[in-house]
Amino acid sequence: MSSTSQKHKEFVAEPMGEKSVMALAGIGEVLGKRLEEKGFDKAYVVLGQFLVLKKDEELFRDWLKDTCGANAKQQGDCYSCLREWCDSFL
Amino acid sequence: MAAAQLTDEELFSELKRLGFIPGPVTENTRPVYLKKLKKLREDQQQRGSRASKGRNSGTTTTTNNNSSSGGGSAAGASGSGARPPGGDVTHLDANKSPGGRPALGEKRHGAPGKVVLGFSSDESDVEISQKKRGLYGSRRERASVLQHQQPGPNVTPAARRSKGLGAGSSSPLGLLEERRNIMGSPWWGDRAKLHPPGAEGRGYAESGNSDYRNDVDRESRTVNGSRSPFTPSSGKFAGGYSDSEEEDDEEEEEEDASEVGRYRDRRLSSRRSHSKSPLPPPFHEGARGAESDREKARGGVIRADDKPGTAGLDIGGDRGEEEDEARKRGQGSKLGSGFLRNRSFPLHADLVSGIMGEFGGSSSGPTSYNNNHVNCGSDDGVGGFGAGLRSRYSAYSSLPATYRLNHSNHAAPNHSYGQTSRKPKLPVPEDELLQQFRREEVSASGGFSAHYLSMILLTAACLFFVLLGLMYLRMRGSGEAVVDVVTKNHPFGNEFDNSYADEQKDVILKLLLHLHDHLAKIAGEHDCGDHVQHSNRNISYTEAFEYLMLHSPEYEDFWDTAMEWLIRSGEDVGIRLIGSHPEESVTNVSQILCLESTHPRMSFICRFRRAFFTVIYRLLLFVAGVGVMCGVLYYMKYRWRKEEEDTRQMYDMVERIIDVLRSHSEACLENKDLQPYLPIPHVRDSLIQPQDRKKMKKVWERAVKFLSTNESRIRTETQRIKGEDFLVWRWTQPSLSCDKMSAIPPKVWQGKAFPLDRRNSPPNSLTPCLKIRNMFDPVMEVGENWHLAIQEAILEKCSDNDGIVHIAVDKNSREGCVYVKCLSAEHSGKAFKALHGSWFDGKLVTVKYLRLDRYHQRFPQALACNTPLKPSSKLMSTLSHLRLRSSPAGSPGFS
Repeated sequence: MSSTSQKHKEFVAEPMGEKSVMALAGIGEVLGKRLEEKGFDKAYVVLGQFLVLKKDEELFRDWLKDTCGANAKQQGDCYSCLREWCDSFL
Repeated sequence: MAAAQLTDEELFSELKRLGFIPGPVTENTRPVYLKKLKKLREDQQQRGSRASKGRNSGTTTTTNNNSSSGGGSAAGASGSGARPPGGDVTHLDANKSPGGRPALGEKRHGAPGKVVLGFSSDESDVEISQKKRGLYGSRRERASVLQHQQPGPNVTPAARRSKGLGAGSSSPLGLLEERRNIMGSPWWGDRAKLHPPGAEGRGYAESGNSDYRNDVDRESRTVNGSRSPFTPSSGKFAGGYSDSEEEDDEEEEEEDASEVGRYRDRRLSSRRSHSKSPLPPPFHEGARGAESDREKARGGVIRADDKPGTAGLDIGGDRGEEEDEARKRGQGSKLGSGFLRNRSFPLHADLVSGIMGEFGGSSSGPTSYNNNHVNCGSDDGVGGFGAGLRSRYSAYSSLPATYRLNHSNHAAPNHSYGQTSRKPKLPVPEDELLQQFRREEVSASGGFSAHYLSMILLTAACLFFVLLGLMYLRMRGSGEAVVDVVTKNHPFGNEFDNSYADEQKDVILKLLLHLHDHLAKIAGEHDCGDHVQHSNRNISYTEAFEYLMLHSPEYEDFWDTAMEWLIRSGEDVGIRLIGSHPEESVTNVSQILCLESTHPRMSFICRFRRAFFTVIYRLLLFVAGVGVMCGVLYYMKYRWRKEEEDTRQMYDMVERIIDVLRSHSEACLENKDLQPYLPIPHVRDSLIQPQDRKKMKKVWERAVKFLSTNESRIRTETQRIKGEDFLVWRWTQPSLSCDKMSAIPPKVWQGKAFPLDRRNSPPNSLTPCLKIRNMFDPVMEVGENWHLAIQEAILEKCSDNDGIVHIAVDKNSREGCVYVKCLSAEHSGKAFKALHGSWFDGKLVTVKYLRLDRYHQRFPQALACNTPLKPSSKLMSTLSHLRLRSSPAGSPGFS
């Protein structure tokens, strides 16, 4: 088993559809709220941003940090979650 | 510039320049990219300071930074120094972005639009595909340098124009020109800067361009002086141009005496398939004419068409054409010298030399390149420049600038010169062209004659055979020799000779000959179908007599003797005498009724026709025979197949009957109410569908017969059932205990140990290959084919999944491993779900995924398998326990 969280596995197991941004791994209530304030209210919007940044890890992490103040672990979780989702479904 | 003041596009381009390909810059991504930009700049600074001192300050001089670091530093330096403020950035960007530099063309960074720099024929506005930072960065930097030069020309067209650098109408040229104008020495400085980025070798170094390279501050005039060595080469290039195909083909013909630049242009333009617009026609024409063949590899930015200035440009252009080197050399030298002579080298020389310098500095050098350069002076190096240029990005980067200038300057004056000096140029390239064509023709005619030769031989052979046939036919037909021959060789024997005098003999023989001929003709005509004229083959006695009278009166006397002799001779002379009875031979002249020829003479056509028909008929007969044989064969095959089919069906039916009877008897054992026999019609009706009964009647009959004769366990008897007599079958095999034992395999699936969920299985199937553990214990297995049972078990368990293509039971594994390959990951996922955690034969089975390549290494035979396997029997015996159980989860030993 990998060291991914349950949230990660859940998110990655199926198309995200209309899941809230808090379904992303690493994004909890607080961060989720911040993202929603910025306009990223759904997971797919964050996915959009991820793709716009060309799936670049560093950029995405920076962006996440800037946007909602995620720490390194949260950034990493979110990034790997999105990346794996993209690998499976994109 | 302050990061905050950058617009999105600027940010974008900056990032690109620094070697990083950004995604779209939006309000969300902007801050991220700004940070990135800062970071990159810092990195760059570090690198720059390491590599070259002056770069950051944007000074014009940059020492040779051929090394990779040069790229970065060059970019920085050029960026900072050469870039005109503000507006140019966008201009640059615009220039840069379309200019896709193919991987090959590092040098290609010359403005995409401007493509004037025909670096190579496949240069195009393709997006730069290189992702490697260093490479990209260096390229970018070079490109940016180039682009710096581009905007330059835009600014001040005038000054350079006077020099005769006809940039023509093309904007890139204009740009170049302007740029050059502004830049003047800074341009040289840029060039110098460019050199270092040219990581590729510096071919020019040897030839003395190195001084150009270093002499960044040289005035254009000085360049002039050094130009001379180049001009010959450029001239050569001119020669080379004529043969290559150019995209701006219309220009090919024109030659310009001083067309070195033109050639270069041509080369550049031709090279650059995409860059049609930039060069004005005069350029192309001049350059093109001589060097059509150079087109391919023109690395040269050398679009500059101005003749004098093009000398250097040409060289640069020539560099691109390694492949045509030899040829071009030959041609080039011819043309070159011609051109040189015609050319006048005004100021352009400076440009040329400047360009040359750049080339020298920046071009990487395969030795050919160097040789070319060296040979410049010696008039044969031009060709060599060829391909080397292609890889010399830096050279090009500098070249475009110069070229552009040249172009712009040339525009006006070139035309004038072009006209005058064009004429002498024309013949020279045409000569080359002609030579080329001649060569082709020679080769073509050579092949041509070979082709002809074979044709001639073939026709000769055919003719020979035809003649042979004709002669044969003629021989057969004619038969009769000349009269004289006949008269000499007559069949009548010596007696004839003795009894008559010579003239009489002659007369008699002639008579007979004539008769014979006449008869033959008649017979021939008759045979050929001309039934109108001659109703029958023979002519009557009197007719023959009359005919001969017509011929000559003296025949009359000898008519009878001739007839007698005919009768007397036993041989066949070609005349048959027919009496009243056709069968008996004529012994007396008086008996002759009619005469007939035995050697009919038919016309050639007729004969041919008959022969032809004969052949055809025989052929048809043969074909018919073959056809009949084939028909017979097919029929037999069909019958045989049908037989097989029938037998198979019969056996199948027999088996079913046996099964029915057996099961019935088992049921009887349990249920004492049933009779231990079954009426045959009942069995039939239960086995065969009503609609098939008619069809299967025959099969059924055969089966019944078979059973009665060959099956010992079934007894046919007559029983009275409910008052009616029936033929019944009784199953007579007692006590199937042993049978039952063997029928039930010990290996069965016994349910699942745990439900499969996320925690204990991978969420999605990873590979199409599975390794199943704990299916068996190799120590305990007995017999030969237990692995087959294992395979069967797996197939049956996954019977709903039609995707298993290969199963391998590892007989020697202690863990009881079975390897399975499926059609796809999805199938393997399903199989995984079906197998993982199940109990089989009292053991808990586990499954894991294997890598496909490892699987193929282990089982290479699995590479070819792609048909799904199915369990061999429909009975699914291994699942029997699961079926019988009420709940599938009721497995023993489940904790």
